[in-house]
Amino acid sequence: MTVYAASGDTWGISGPTFLRYYLMAVSVVVAIAVYHRVRLAAGSTATMTAEPLGPQQVAYLNGGPQLAVHAALGGLRGSGAIGVRPDRRLTTTGAAPSGLTPLEQAIHWAAHQHSRVGDLPRDERVRIALHQIRYGLEQRGLLTDDAQRARARFWTTILIALLGLGVLRLFSGLSNGHPVGYLLLTLVALLIVTLVLRRAPVLTRAGRAALRGVRREHTHLAPASTPAYATYGAAGAAMGVALYGTATLWALDPGFAEQAEIQRQAASGSGWTGGSDGSSGGGDSSGGDGGSSCGGGGGCGGGGCGG
Amino acid sequence: MTGTPEGDTAPTPRAGLAERQAELVAALVAGGEPPAGFAPGPLAATRAALLRKRAGEVARHWPLLAAGLGAGWSTTFADWAARRPTAGSLRDGWDLARELHDRQALPPAAAEELAVRKARLRYDGRRAPRPRRAPAVGRAGGAVAVQIAGRVRLLRPASRTATLAGDGVPDAAGSSLWISD
Amino acid sequence: MRRMTGPSGVGIGWRPEIAGFVAGLPGLRFVEVVAEGVPASGPLPPGLTQLRERAVTVVPHGVRLSLGGAEPVDPARVAHLAAVAQRLDAPLVSEHIAFVRAGGLEAGHLLPLPRSRDAVDAVCANVTRAQAELPVPIALEPIAALVDWPDDELDEADFLTEILDRTGALLLLDVANVHANARNRGADPLALLDRLPLERVAYAHVAGGAEHGGFYHDTHTDPVPAAVLELVGALCARRRPPALLLERDGHYPPAADLRAELDALAATAGFPSVT
Repeated sequence: MTVYAASGDTWGISGPTFLRYYLMAVSVVVAIAVYHRVRLAAGSTATMTAEPLGPQQVAYLNGGPQLAVHAALGGLRGSGAIGVRPDRRLTTTGAAPSGLTPLEQAIHWAAHQHSRVGDLPRDERVRIALHQIRYGLEQRGLLTDDAQRARARFWTTILIALLGLGVLRLFSGLSNGHPVGYLLLTLVALLIVTLVLRRAPVLTRAGRAALRGVRREHTHLAPASTPAYATYGAAGAAMGVALYGTATLWALDPGFAEQAEIQRQAASGSGWTGGSDGSSGGGDSSGGDGGSSCGGGGGCGGGGCGG
Repeated sequence: MTGTPEGDTAPTPRAGLAERQAELVAALVAGGEPPAGFAPGPLAATRAALLRKRAGEVARHWPLLAAGLGAGWSTTFADWAARRPTAGSLRDGWDLARELHDRQALPPAAAEELAVRKARLRYDGRRAPRPRRAPAVGRAGGAVAVQIAGRVRLLRPASRTATLAGDGVPDAAGSSLWISD
Repeated sequence: MRRMTGPSGVGIGWRPEIAGFVAGLPGLRFVEVVAEGVPASGPLPPGLTQLRERAVTVVPHGVRLSLGGAEPVDPARVAHLAAVAQRLDAPLVSEHIAFVRAGGLEAGHLLPLPRSRDAVDAVCANVTRAQAELPVPIALEPIAALVDWPDDELDEADFLTEILDRTGALLLLDVANVHANARNRGADPLALLDRLPLERVAYAHVAGGAEHGGFYHDTHTDPVPAAVLELVGALCARRRPPALLLERDGHYPPAADLRAELDALAATAGFPSVT
């Protein structure tokens, strides 16, 4: 940009002309990007089976491969099939249980090899099992597949490039003292659209609905209810981890979780826990009545010495 | 408070009942004098059972504290609580955790639990804990937790000394199942 | 206010820890819930809402009213119990013949009353106060106690009968408590059963316990011992209560064990199985 026309147009293109072409390009790209996003969210009209989702699949939907590994750990620990050694490496205990899913089998084998919890996602068999889960979920139309997501992201990138071009034009126009009002308006609108389209969702609409459905069925596993994992069994423990994160593992077996160095918070990929603390039964503030808090629903009748 | 209902013309026996009940409760939970006429055996058994029950309830509110102390939880709690009447399981556990913290005897997971609670509630040891509305930070034993608008995140875990026990001494976390195969 | 029918058959104490298990019992017709754990307003625990939708009878069970205390019962606590009964369309509520606080200290547990005339007066006064505010009948549960007061005037059966006669309340007969008291005093539980007003029983409790330091403790965290189950059989032989409730407060066992206990109860009493 070494040619300075004394009172010429920015970049040698007149304002209205640039705006016209710019708007045309932006509309086309936005249309394509939106189209891809909508298709992405809708997911493939692939086979919608009536098969219920297992805990590891729910975990994959809720928190990705990492949470699926933790859910499998919860199930294995709940059935007493794995333990942890003083040196923080996993180990197997007792006979190998039957009826394990491929991911559980992979983790059981890794425990036999005394791997650490942190190394599990990198284990070869575990990775294969995780791929299988992912593929299965994509087939069921619950996860967006990579190719679709890449396409959607590509078009969003084009949009960002256009945005960049517009901003460049804006600044050079300003430095030349040309009116940039309409361009500014266009850019603001484009910025909003870009922000909306920025993140390509991982779950399809069906996936989100499926997750909501599973959550509704299993509210009794919420850590706030201090669920009795012995009663709900290994499947309950696994589903608890899948829906509520590693807080369930810590509630299920704090010694194991501590020794195996399982991270405190890992639900839905975020580190934040809301509402009542995961481990408090029945609310934090004990009514302020100065009495022992039986408010958690646990019986105080009978029990102990007498009565 | 020994209130009498309307129309009761003989307050003395009722007052006597109130006093005697108060004596019994004090003897059971506050280390008071055993009232006259009570067999010592059942009284002691009742006292112990009350402490066990209290320990169980506090463990429900403070699971990492109970798990961190492992097999020593019941005795630790009973020793601490024997002369301290309950103020509710939440406060009991909080007071015990603070005392262990001051004595450097708080297990790391329990320190994290305490930090998270401190970020969420305000407690001065005298009145009931109250929820914090403003963003807050809780610290205990090296653990740091931050609370914003009701959601808490553990920023830094508690300091843990390396425990590579090879001598069969149970780890403080008390994981009971480690049979190497 | 639409009110559910009274408790019948075998039921289980609803606890949030086993809410999923309780929800999965196909033949369940009634549960009991700790009244202090149910809010008077605002959302109910989700498991309870589901049970109400299934038309399962829910009975609120108070544990901290301290009806046996010399102090008048706190009106706020009675109001809460009444509100919970309304919310749950309960046919009745229950509480204990015991006290939980005195002299400004909380005992944290149910403590026995001396079986004296004064105590009878105190209990009756409090029960009458409560009944004035409650929309439904109240059933009273006598507790198990290791401790005996030195100046008991009445024996257990007379004490209970007098309270029930004067207040018109129903009886919540805890079979495990009968067993515990008999075991710890060296008395005959059947003799007590014979003297109790069994026609006033609204429903019965069954719970587990353990021997500890020479005493039998009614812990509610252990399996139901065979002796207690036998006592249930003896009770049913005399006069079967309308309903039997399994109480479990902690150390919950695998679901199969709980189901087995419920089945054993049903078999002993001749009630239909709920599992």
